[in-house]
Amino acid sequence: MYGYNGRALVVDLTVRRAEWQPLGEDVLRRFIGGTGLGAYLLYEHCPTGVDPMAPENPLIFVTSPLVGSRLTTSSKFAVVTKSPLTGFIGDSLSSSFLATELKKAGCDALVITGRSASPTLLSIDDGEVGFLDATDLAGLTTSQTELAVKQRLGHRRKVACIGPAGENLVRFASISNDGGRQAGRTGPGAVMGSKNLKAIALRGTQAVPTFDPDRLNEIGLDLTRRSLGPATEKYRTLGTLANVSVFNRLGTLPTRNFRESTFELAARVDGEALHEGHHVKNAHCANCTIGCEQIVQTNDDGPVARGRMEYESSFALGPLVGVGDPNAIIRASRICDELGMDTISAGATVAWAMESYERGLLSGGENGGPELRFGSEDALTATLEMIGSREGIGDLLADGSRAASRQVGGGSEDWAMHVKGLEMPGYEPRSLKTMALGLAVSTRGACHNRSSAYEADFSSKVDRLEAGRERGRITMEGEDFGAVLDSLIWCKFLRKAFDDLYEESADIYGLVTGWGMEAADLKVAGERINNLKKAFNIREGWKRTDDTLPARVLVERLPSGVTEGAGLTPDDLDMMVRAYYAARGWTEDGLIPESKLRELDVTSIIVRGDSDIVSPSGQLEAKVCHAADTRTA
Amino acid sequence: MSGDSGIRRSGRITIELFGMARISCGRRDVEIEAPLDGGMEGIVGVLANACPALVGVAIREDRMGLLDSYTFNLNGTTFVSSGTSRLREGDRLLLFSSMAGG
Repeated sequence: MYGYNGRALVVDLTVRRAEWQPLGEDVLRRFIGGTGLGAYLLYEHCPTGVDPMAPENPLIFVTSPLVGSRLTTSSKFAVVTKSPLTGFIGDSLSSSFLATELKKAGCDALVITGRSASPTLLSIDDGEVGFLDATDLAGLTTSQTELAVKQRLGHRRKVACIGPAGENLVRFASISNDGGRQAGRTGPGAVMGSKNLKAIALRGTQAVPTFDPDRLNEIGLDLTRRSLGPATEKYRTLGTLANVSVFNRLGTLPTRNFRESTFELAARVDGEALHEGHHVKNAHCANCTIGCEQIVQTNDDGPVARGRMEYESSFALGPLVGVGDPNAIIRASRICDELGMDTISAGATVAWAMESYERGLLSGGENGGPELRFGSEDALTATLEMIGSREGIGDLLADGSRAASRQVGGGSEDWAMHVKGLEMPGYEPRSLKTMALGLAVSTRGACHNRSSAYEADFSSKVDRLEAGRERGRITMEGEDFGAVLDSLIWCKFLRKAFDDLYEESADIYGLVTGWGMEAADLKVAGERINNLKKAFNIREGWKRTDDTLPARVLVERLPSGVTEGAGLTPDDLDMMVRAYYAARGWTEDGLIPESKLRELDVTSIIVRGDSDIVSPSGQLEAKVCHAADTRTA
Repeated sequence: MSGDSGIRRSGRITIELFGMARISCGRRDVEIEAPLDGGMEGIVGVLANACPALVGVAIREDRMGLLDSYTFNLNGTTFVSSGTSRLREGDRLLLFSSMAGG
């Protein structure tokens, strides 16, 4: 076999046993790798209705056919699990050497189930599995953990680990690898923590051969050349931090918990300002020629903090919480990375707490907690630390904004800015109507990356302030395109370097694997993967009402900037959601007809696991009875 | 002058600079006297003369248009797709990367 190992390593932490699961051509061609293959394995290994924190919930690391090919941006992996934040499918991507090491260790995927009795370090050395005691690693931050593991097992090892947030089951905990890169969204670090798995140390020496390495090398050189052209200029210079000033000017920079869409201090914290006053260098993932990572450092008299900074962290720990000091944002981001927490969910949950505090629903200073006012840098950093350790108010916030708002009540659910339990990224949906739909229907909750629906809004193709039925097709096509990117896996920042992603990727897939693949096959694969993700969610209790947006978005209008007065009515959102279902070939209720499952060749997967999930009427039916008890709220 | 007279109108507009365009020029915006109904080509040419540092960064070497990696937005509301847009005195054109999001 070329391009793949043809097998997954399945590890059971409870009984300390590992076995190989064969992955045949029929599965690999249909689900490719990354999030696609991860969705397939999740469907197979995750029992219906399981508590995401239960030992039975699998934590799945997945490589791809392109990993190890040396093609630019291809050293990426996916982490897939049932999310403790949403109760639905959770998939995150990270990158760099861990991906190549996992594949060279003999695995297309690593499926971890069970729970260790004590903190454990999982060692995988060319497929040989060891269960090592990690009691000495307990409580260490992510960078401390990675260093300690390397000192113990050798610096050749590549490490994935959790910080204190994962150990304390913070539901938006991340998994850190390769010096601070994060599989951040949907809480995979909490699942890892629930398994008493502190770290994974990988070493592999077996490179996977490709079918036509010479031709692949030629194409790779051309792709590298294109990756250095205008299509990636933004990412190679300021990185995604360039969004801050532009989004602010366009009235789509979420500010103070989405109450506003412009930030009066944006000029202090935008990409241009950080480039001028804080930029240290650009950095790369392994095998990447773009180098989008902005390494920044504080420049005031406070404690020195240095680390990666990108738009989402900057927005969530800056404008969203009203903080306009770049040094405070850098420190807050560093705290999240060291504790091992998703910066978006962390910032958004603190923003919810700040608003709740200012409205009198949460207490603060009088009992030793922080004065949770918007703009308070001290409150931000103190609260993040408390979340990571689940101390004081941190224990409430560690379950995310949805769960916290349901516990506090008082109407605070209306300003808990999440979809399906996952906190909103830095795109104001009232001034980006295609993005609004993308956020509402995404299978992993409020996600900008799985559809990239914002692309249409930032173009002349649509009027971004007007809702329309055509957004259904645009969002569906963006999701399927994204599923192919995330399964092959290409970095999204390379997407515009392709003249035709499907054609070129199909050719490359053939050169890697030796299996014929047409552009049309890849398109269908994207659709298949998104349908399988949706099928998983339906199985776990998805309801039509889950495809919506926070009440604030559907009730309040934007108060300032060029988008002043912009809103999104429930009827307009419903119209777009219906158009999306129609574009997908789903029912008006968002269910998948059996004919669609057959068309996409996934019926056997679903029926195998749940023989009664396809109803007599030919539609997938939600198993609410199981899942309702396991959702995070 | 009115466009109906056959004489091309001109007027003062402001170009707001973002990202590397701003950093390269060392300024946040530039006011130019430019043709208002001649499409973007004429505006880009005037802008290149006013801010030569933009050539090769955001403006093509032939000064006839923007690089593919940059785009104009009119007054923060409308994305400008072709050379046919009509502008008005006092309009503000935002110049930033065409690579959306991240």
